[in-house]
Amino acid sequence: MNKNYIILMGILILLAAGLLVLPLKNNSKQLDPEVLMWDIVQPTRYVSTDEVAKMIIEHDPLLMMVDVRSAEDFQLFSLTNAINFPLDSLALDDARSALTFNKRNLVFYSNDDLKSDQAWVIAKRLGLKNIYVLKGGLNRWIQTIIQPEAPAETASEAEFNLYAFRQGASQYFTGGSISIDKSPQAEVVVSRKKKAKAAEGGC
Amino acid sequence: MGPLIPQGIIPMGWDFVIALLIGIAFGFVLEASGFSSSRNITGVFYGYNFVVLRVFFTAVVVAMIGLQYFDYFGWIDLNQIYVLPTFLSPMIVGAIIMGVGFVLGGFCPGTSYTAIAIGKIDAMVFTGGLFLGIFLFSEFFPFFEQFYYSGNMGSITIGEFFGISNNLVTLIFVVIAVVAFYITWRIELRVRKNMIQYKF
Repeated sequence: MNKNYIILMGILILLAAGLLVLPLKNNSKQLDPEVLMWDIVQPTRYVSTDEVAKMIIEHDPLLMMVDVRSAEDFQLFSLTNAINFPLDSLALDDARSALTFNKRNLVFYSNDDLKSDQAWVIAKRLGLKNIYVLKGGLNRWIQTIIQPEAPAETASEAEFNLYAFRQGASQYFTGGSISIDKSPQAEVVVSRKKKAKAAEGGC
Repeated sequence: MGPLIPQGIIPMGWDFVIALLIGIAFGFVLEASGFSSSRNITGVFYGYNFVVLRVFFTAVVVAMIGLQYFDYFGWIDLNQIYVLPTFLSPMIVGAIIMGVGFVLGGFCPGTSYTAIAIGKIDAMVFTGGLFLGIFLFSEFFPFFEQFYYSGNMGSITIGEFFGISNNLVTLIFVVIAVVAFYITWRIELRVRKNMIQYKF
């Protein structure tokens, strides 16, 4: 055997054996607590129900709703195209690989903010990016989108526009009809002119 | 620092460009190692030429050792490397099919393209069969979809499976490789009368 090959093999074995004497490195990189703290207090990690409703209606391709409630709850009610990863399964491999290689905007939601906030922290610690929490969760969703309350009469135009949007969204998500309140309108009186009679006789 | 794309050092959009460059380099090395010749490649099955074993085993152990050291020096974070999930029985069946195709056709998918690049007609026929195989596989996929996804072991590594450190796995692999190099060299000495020993 060529001498050079023997030398190369010796180097290979030496390098590989050298790996054994290296101290074991803890590879699990932790997120810096200060960074996590800073991100937690940012209001930008929340999205409102109106924003989410708009994105769902517009079929935003980047939106991915993640339901962190239990599978039973998910069966009973869920948002359009949402996927279900219960909170306790979020750190498991399946959920992890499904979410990690996802380049979309993940919006966590639960009945309120509580579980989804926890899910957000777990996801943050897993190193996921573009993650958000549905502010107020499904409770707020029902209040604002499914059964929106009419604003006071003195409310601003923006509030009325929002209400109109929510009514439309409610119709979109429930498939129900919305009642259009009929404001009293003055009856249109159609007055017809008397037809002039054709002249009869005369001079 | 690395991996460069998941860390955002190289934007995602570049991955196909990088894949193309790596592909060209890979093809060049395959051709330079004599992998465009069916005789060289299938010799490993008939026991007279083990260049395939040596080249690929060398590539594997060099990459293994390199990655471990890179990880140690902090140049690459091995936790962020994508580990292909293991589907044990479908992978064994797939390997057998691949091996049979290898020895029948005289090429593996990658080497058939290097052989086309130097104008070999048998390789062109081989790639025709390759595309036919892909087509049939896709068409009949629903029939064996269940088996295809069976036995998912997740993204598991040998070290995790046996509960030993990856560094030890690397050393074991290197020892196996060196022993294999020596044994195959002895076999070739005995089988091939006109063997040329490459010098470098």
